[in-house]
Amino acid sequence: MPPAVRRHPTARAMTVRRLAAGVRLNVLTFVRTPLNVVLAVALPIVVIEGWGRSMAGLPETPTMEAIPLTLGRLLGAILGVAIVAGLLGLTQMISAREADRRLVQTGYEPRTLLATRLLALSGVTVAVAAVNFLVLAATTSPEAPVLTFAFLALAGIVYAFLGALVGAVLPRLFEGSLVVVFLAMMDAFLSGDSPLAADVPDFVTYFPLYHPKELLRAAMFEGTVATGDLAFVAGYVLVLLAAVTAVFGATMQVDGRWSA
Amino acid sequence: MEGTVHTPTSSTDGAVLRGEQIEKSYGSWLPIGRTTPVLTGANFELTPGEIVGIVGENGSGKSTLMKILVGVLGADAGSVERGGTIGWCPQEPLLYDRLTVAETFDLFGSGYGMDEAAIREARDRLAERLEFDRYLDYRIDALSGGNRQKVNLAVALMHDPDVLLLDEPYTGFDWDTYLHFWDIAEDLAADGTAIAMISHLIEERTRLDRIVEVRDGVVRDATHDEDAIEEHGATSGEADQFEAADSAGDGAADAAGSPQAPDSEGDDRA
Repeated sequence: MPPAVRRHPTARAMTVRRLAAGVRLNVLTFVRTPLNVVLAVALPIVVIEGWGRSMAGLPETPTMEAIPLTLGRLLGAILGVAIVAGLLGLTQMISAREADRRLVQTGYEPRTLLATRLLALSGVTVAVAAVNFLVLAATTSPEAPVLTFAFLALAGIVYAFLGALVGAVLPRLFEGSLVVVFLAMMDAFLSGDSPLAADVPDFVTYFPLYHPKELLRAAMFEGTVATGDLAFVAGYVLVLLAAVTAVFGATMQVDGRWSA
Repeated sequence: MEGTVHTPTSSTDGAVLRGEQIEKSYGSWLPIGRTTPVLTGANFELTPGEIVGIVGENGSGKSTLMKILVGVLGADAGSVERGGTIGWCPQEPLLYDRLTVAETFDLFGSGYGMDEAAIREARDRLAERLEFDRYLDYRIDALSGGNRQKVNLAVALMHDPDVLLLDEPYTGFDWDTYLHFWDIAEDLAADGTAIAMISHLIEERTRLDRIVEVRDGVVRDATHDEDAIEEHGATSGEADQFEAADSAGDGAADAAGSPQAPDSEGDDRA
């Protein structure tokens, strides 16, 4: 009987295998980091109620109405998702930077490696958004629950990719965390219809949470899809994706892959 | 000027890895930062089946040279030609802390393009030979330093590379594993694998075909330079110390890069 011939997998099959293995192991890494799980579960409750009540507690002025508690909670949910997803994106890029370079040296394409990270990150972000949505739905009554959940997840993905970009550009956990948290809080505040932020400049409309918030507001209070905002957010995600791919590819450049 | 790299290639004189006129400086991107030249025209060559020791004082550029040869660090100038598959064992284990040992093999094996059966076969073979087979389900961050280093080395070996570049690969090994490591290295060399190893152990000179020294930014042959070998080797009589520590089982640790006696009692890691 002739000896068994080992077939070399095609490049496409290899990429699929690497993607599947990478996503699975990235998700396992997330689950095995207890702080991540605690953050994902505990933060929504704290932020949705805390941020919601503090925003609703802002004083009414002669020219400005106070924020209803429901809107405050919605803004809290966006902030909760954004902070957790942003920090997860950041840590995903920083925590194993040197090991990533070794993995790329073995033959993993940086783009494939990044894809495994971002796919796992998106999945985890959707889970985080689900927790936030459950808390939000328990305290409010969204007109279109599915859309509300979907747009909450979209807001999370925007920040997850933003966190990944910050991590690729600034590979330091402390400094990167400050950037992500400060940005998310400022963004949620300025984008969030606060009477204290009534005279914000027009460029706030380009902030990462501005259009996701408009999407969410339409879904939650009117049960509709704000298509213009949706297109803007989709474009935002694509730009972030291109930026993080370019930066990650540059930082992971190795010239010594093993030859086939 | 950027360094150039050609890979893969076949050399007319049989070298499977060659670096020529490699230059590398470290510096800050700020204009006020200091620039430190490390390599100023280093040449290095490796042919199939030979085991080459790389010595040099701390900061001489040994690890920098190796990273450039591997390809994970770019040179400022010079060229590197690689003629085969490369396995690299970095000085510090570059692994994913929250993955298990078995998952680590899956991930790096898929990077090398190995199928599942080949990964499993390599994993089991190396785990048995380096004696970490009972830790396959342990997470990397739950392993002792010595066992982590075994996995670090095994990841470099798992795809049977043509060229093996090892940066103090036995740090934290116990004496038995150190000997197993040399058995593996000598078997690989006999099969034609070219091996370069950064080493501090003077006793290894008998196992090495050549010794090169990195000094003043260049690489020079030090195979017959007793002074250089004495200067960069660990203390004389190291092997006797390991054997004494091993037989006593007292967990004695020693110079950086040296194998260690069996893990000490107080360590709760695997």
